[in-house]
Amino acid sequence: MISMESGAEFKNKIDPKEAADYFKHLSLFWTDMAYLISSKPSALILAGPMRKFSLQTKKLATEMIEANEDLIEFNTKLSEYYKQLSDTWTESQKRFNVKIPEIPNDVEHIESSKRVWIDIFENAFTQLFDSEKFGENFGKLISSEVELSKHWNNMLAVLLESVNVPTKDDLNEVYKELHSLRKRVSKLEKNERKSGVIHNGK
Amino acid sequence: MENELKIDPILIEEFLKFNKNLIEAPKMVPAIDEINLEMTPYDVAYSEDKVRLLHFNSSIQKQHKTPLVIVYALVNRYHILDIHPQKSWIKNLLNQGFDVYLIDWGSPTNIDKYQGFDDYVNGYIDNCIDFVCDEADVEKVTLQGYCTGGTLATVYSALHPDKVKNLVVTAPVIDGKKDTTVVGNLAKHMDVDEMVKAIGNMPPEFMYYIFSILKPFEQGVEKYIHFFKNIHDKNYVDNFLRVEKWLHDTPSIPGELFRQWIKDVYQENLLIQDKMYVGNQLVSLKNITMPIFIQVAVGDHLVSPECSMPLYYAVGTEDKTMRIYPTGHVGMIASSFSQKKVLTELGQWLSERSK
Repeated sequence: MISMESGAEFKNKIDPKEAADYFKHLSLFWTDMAYLISSKPSALILAGPMRKFSLQTKKLATEMIEANEDLIEFNTKLSEYYKQLSDTWTESQKRFNVKIPEIPNDVEHIESSKRVWIDIFENAFTQLFDSEKFGENFGKLISSEVELSKHWNNMLAVLLESVNVPTKDDLNEVYKELHSLRKRVSKLEKNERKSGVIHNGK
Repeated sequence: MENELKIDPILIEEFLKFNKNLIEAPKMVPAIDEINLEMTPYDVAYSEDKVRLLHFNSSIQKQHKTPLVIVYALVNRYHILDIHPQKSWIKNLLNQGFDVYLIDWGSPTNIDKYQGFDDYVNGYIDNCIDFVCDEADVEKVTLQGYCTGGTLATVYSALHPDKVKNLVVTAPVIDGKKDTTVVGNLAKHMDVDEMVKAIGNMPPEFMYYIFSILKPFEQGVEKYIHFFKNIHDKNYVDNFLRVEKWLHDTPSIPGELFRQWIKDVYQENLLIQDKMYVGNQLVSLKNITMPIFIQVAVGDHLVSPECSMPLYYAVGTEDKTMRIYPTGHVGMIASSFSQKKVLTELGQWLSERSK
């Protein structure tokens, strides 16, 4: 018999981490099963790029699941980022209201109020951006964004590999090789110049 | 009706005037793309990959034998040093009789992502200096570096002291631990290895973000209100748009260079401790035995004075001068103040040492 629990009670019993792990496992299990079941017959009918793609679907699914995990982390850090900004804004506005309680109604008053407003906000925000808590959260926010872009790159690599187009890693290899070649050529040119100078008796 | 809000009629007039300016602005002000920032004529004396060595033309007779090579920063383009005829750093030095060269880094693309300190210092700068020495028939040059270019010039002078007659550094990034700016704070918290691995070159958008949070209200709000209030002042508008164009022309920074920069200079603070390696060579600031002139701005919100000043105590030379100016990072190089004070003092110091 299934016991009837209230929504809140049910929610309290579920750990979000456990739930994420469970769905990850579930998804990987069925992707593996689908691959095992279909790989033999598919090997008969699929050839070329599509076969490569079908072999790599598991990789895509894993990347998607992991990207979702990182998206949660990214959202947490992004919320904290906006919270820090909005708290600082509210606090600065409060300080401004205390300093200039009345609505300015002439040019001079407007100018001085604007100056005070800018000074208060500038100081508060510079203090925030200079703080350890902002720097730390910002660093983590960027890291989680980097993690997301890595998953995106990996997924893209699977797609590109399946149609035999160079991936980012392939291009990086070329860039690296070019960099080292440029360096060698420059060194050779320099040595040649030097020996030329010596030959010319300078 | 005691609570009725009374508004000064002048205020309403000002408000209407401001709105009129907003509407008229497009008719009166050129678009950013229509502004040409190339001020002083130059020849491209040498080029390598995307790097160009500019040699500025002067109508004034050269009065000093030693040529001056300016190493521009890695952020934005070199135009700030030649932003306006009345505020041009380059023109002023030419008028003082110096032979001026400048290294323009160009706009790196993905193919340059593996370029690091070694490529910039022992490659590009060294090749440019060799070229200048050949062309001017001298053994040594005066090297000047601005901002991050100041750091590159410092590292170069420590590794190649035999090619540098005088070193001038303007707001250089030296002691990352002591940097109290927002840039320093953010740099200390970045996982730069992973960032560079995933992104490659540091994109302009990221650099814009870093700059937009420096003085966000003065630079992001008040500056533009002021602009629309003054659109009838041709000089003001011209100057404003030139600086804006320069500010928004931010090339990417090669990934490897950015990585080494953040790690070695900001996070591990190796440069000031004489522990930094560039191209397998240890950079010892004690090797800077040539005369050095350090320029620092008290109101610098990009490179705090505390970050630049330790260089004065770390170098090996006895002939060292440090000037601290009551201005900001850009004010030190592109303002009426820099023309009157900063460049006059620099010119005097240099002319005594450029024979």
